[in-house]
Amino acid sequence: MGTRHTTPIIAAICALPLVLSGCGAGQDANTDANGKPILNVTVTKHSLTKPLKDMNWPKALEKACDCTVKWSEVSSDWDTKKQAILASKKVPDVAISAFGDNDMATYGSLFLDLSQELDSMPNVKAMFQTDPKAKAVAETTDGKIYSLPADLQDLPQPKSNRRMYVNKQWLDKLGLKVPTTWDELYDVLEAFKTQDPNGNGKADEIPMDFAPIGTSGLGDGTPVHLLGSTGLPLTGTVYTQGIFVEDGKVKNYYEDTRYKQLIEFLNRLWKAGLISDKAFTQDYSQFQSVARGNGDEATVGFTWGSTIEDRFGAQLKSQYVSIDQLEAEAGQSAKKVWYLKEDAQRYLPGKLSISAKVANKEAALKFADAFYDPDVSIQARFGDMGTDVEKIGDKQYKVLPPSDSSKDSSTWAWTESLKENAPCWLQGKIEPSEEYKLRLEEDAPLADSYANQDPIKDQWPLEIKMNTADLNSISLNNSTILNTAVSNFGKWVTKGGVDAEWDSYVQTLKQANIEQNTEIYQKYYDAWLAKQ
Amino acid sequence: MTLTTSSITPNEPNTGPAPTAASSPKPTWLQSAKRYWQLWAMLLPAVIFVAIFSYGPMYGIQLAFRRFDITKGLTGGDWVGFAYFRQFFSNPQFWPIMRNTVVISLWTLVMGFIAPILLALLINQIHSRRVKGFVQTVTYMPHFISVVVIVSMINLFLTPSTGILTRALAVFGLHDVNLLGSTGAFPMLYWMSEVWQHVGWNSIIYLAALSSVDLALYEAAKIDGAGRLQLIRYVDLPTILPTAGILLILNMGHVLGVGFEKVYLMQNPLNLPASEVISTYTYKMGILQNQFSYSTAIGLFNMAINFVMLVVANQISKKVSDTSVF
Repeated sequence: MGTRHTTPIIAAICALPLVLSGCGAGQDANTDANGKPILNVTVTKHSLTKPLKDMNWPKALEKACDCTVKWSEVSSDWDTKKQAILASKKVPDVAISAFGDNDMATYGSLFLDLSQELDSMPNVKAMFQTDPKAKAVAETTDGKIYSLPADLQDLPQPKSNRRMYVNKQWLDKLGLKVPTTWDELYDVLEAFKTQDPNGNGKADEIPMDFAPIGTSGLGDGTPVHLLGSTGLPLTGTVYTQGIFVEDGKVKNYYEDTRYKQLIEFLNRLWKAGLISDKAFTQDYSQFQSVARGNGDEATVGFTWGSTIEDRFGAQLKSQYVSIDQLEAEAGQSAKKVWYLKEDAQRYLPGKLSISAKVANKEAALKFADAFYDPDVSIQARFGDMGTDVEKIGDKQYKVLPPSDSSKDSSTWAWTESLKENAPCWLQGKIEPSEEYKLRLEEDAPLADSYANQDPIKDQWPLEIKMNTADLNSISLNNSTILNTAVSNFGKWVTKGGVDAEWDSYVQTLKQANIEQNTEIYQKYYDAWLAKQ
Repeated sequence: MTLTTSSITPNEPNTGPAPTAASSPKPTWLQSAKRYWQLWAMLLPAVIFVAIFSYGPMYGIQLAFRRFDITKGLTGGDWVGFAYFRQFFSNPQFWPIMRNTVVISLWTLVMGFIAPILLALLINQIHSRRVKGFVQTVTYMPHFISVVVIVSMINLFLTPSTGILTRALAVFGLHDVNLLGSTGAFPMLYWMSEVWQHVGWNSIIYLAALSSVDLALYEAAKIDGAGRLQLIRYVDLPTILPTAGILLILNMGHVLGVGFEKVYLMQNPLNLPASEVISTYTYKMGILQNQFSYSTAIGLFNMAINFVMLVVANQISKKVSDTSVF
């Protein structure tokens, strides 16, 4: 009796490891039942994006590598999970949009150096040959390639991802002109506050609103964009740390007097009640929802955002226009600029990496290369052929409007495919969606400001990579610099006092080694410039 | 918590029967282990738990003295001695962070210590069982609300110009109050919400101690002419004093341990000068900036101070009131 009962239990215990390792008895863990190689692929995607098994185009990848792909899809908390994965050194065979440049600086040895494998990846090789900048973006300081970028080569790009919006309907109603200087902006905002432009009889208008500052530096959608009014040129991603390049010299605006000038102006606005009193304490969703107003009654007069539709919603979008950068003072000698983010939008680094310990290397390389095929690329970015993209001819595509009319175009785009998380090389003739064209139109008023910024001497080059030691020094210094800067920014804008405290503030920043950071950046910039 | 009460009550001179073992000569450790092996067996899981999860990971502390290198693992980095500690002490943010941590935690410690005692004494005065039960339930319910929800509530109530509390203040003539963005109000917001949330729950332990008071004591005191306040002063307070002492000593062990989640969630650019504390700084350095060694050093420093405070508090309490944890 006893033995009869124990046998199945023992069998079950023996079978457990097999179940856990996910393979049948007697089989290699690296091949499936048909002897095809297995690839474990981790992909990070937006929470709206539908499961990859519901898309058609990933089948082309499996066909190309002649393997079975086990997708593991992550759409939340990746940053925390990532640290654990890297620390345990068990990275997936292929990771998509999962590991960035900073991870590669520390954990590069965990990944396959793809610069040696370009011959087995014809599409990638062609991309690097046609567009050398894509290669420069992918390469580390010593010429290794641990991750492949997305290259949106032939997709028309706006030069920046943020624009300045004002409620044109309110301006017209009050008989005002679009502001061109800070003083004019002040007058316009004051009129918005006091003259009830939305006509509901209540003083509920918010003249100016901006994105939450966060506790680690001024970012997109904050008044930092107004620094360009003083001629201070910002670029791409480094500007949140205060870093900018002006006429070939790297500087930090957190210790720049033009930044002080901006704070004084903002304090003037705050004292007059022209900035939303919740600006510093609201979270992003509150910030977004307040600009959508009530029905067709707008509440926000002046703000920053990525597109008018995204910022104000379908109902209010007709009320707003994008405007050109302002001048700090009328007739100033400094040329106004708007911050450039063109390269950072065209080349997205860290989109695909392969584990150094991958069992089926050949399959992994074929799989990776398949992403860069023109047909796959366009679908990975925009969605399946037929529903989301139409192929007009050889390397000629048209992005289709949402087939589900209940969804707005931005939600639709994120649902249908990997969008910005996709490794891809967009080449040929691409006709973007209507929504995307609007983005280009909104960019038009800024043309002059863009032209004032020299792409070499006033821009931080995207392709510069730093070594671990330098990255560490920078991030260590930044923790103090940004903390000091952000808390003082809030204090000075709301309570004033920047004039009296500026010198001691700059002293604190110096103590926090702000100079060391600019020197490191300068060193890399000079090395880059010498190669141009 | 309950473990502490049961271990204190036998020491309490006035209540409970005197332990019988005290009359026989003091047994050796081995004898006692043999005689009370059941008790030791019950203790075992806890000992194993502490050994694995508290003592085990301590080997990682050496990270504070080494330069962390991913390729060499936790224990393989170069030995740098106290470099990371020096780095922390010479950081311009060191003093502000320390000050914030101490201010917030002292307020919370003191207020969080007094409030439950007062509440317990008050509840103890209620005679109706139903009212007592109702009050107790109402006061300890907030304890079960998640920190995230509490912080969202604080943010909603105190939103400038539209929050409930901001509007209430406006009724009293205080216009344009922005408590969320005020550095001065931050410690107060923190400890008040903390006390509000946990006062009911923490008073349970005192209520338990109060329920053990011999009713004859009250009667005797009343016959001697004691009023209500005097009953509290001479009967209730001495009863809960040992419990309070032990809890205070244990709390001293967290004197620099301001809870991370709540402070982090309550942070915004305006209150940052008052709300950056050791734990949030460690998080920003260690997890967000990948400075593992540096943040381990800060964490270790924090621990060392907490440990010293605990021992000092214990020694003082031992001298003054004869109650101590060890």
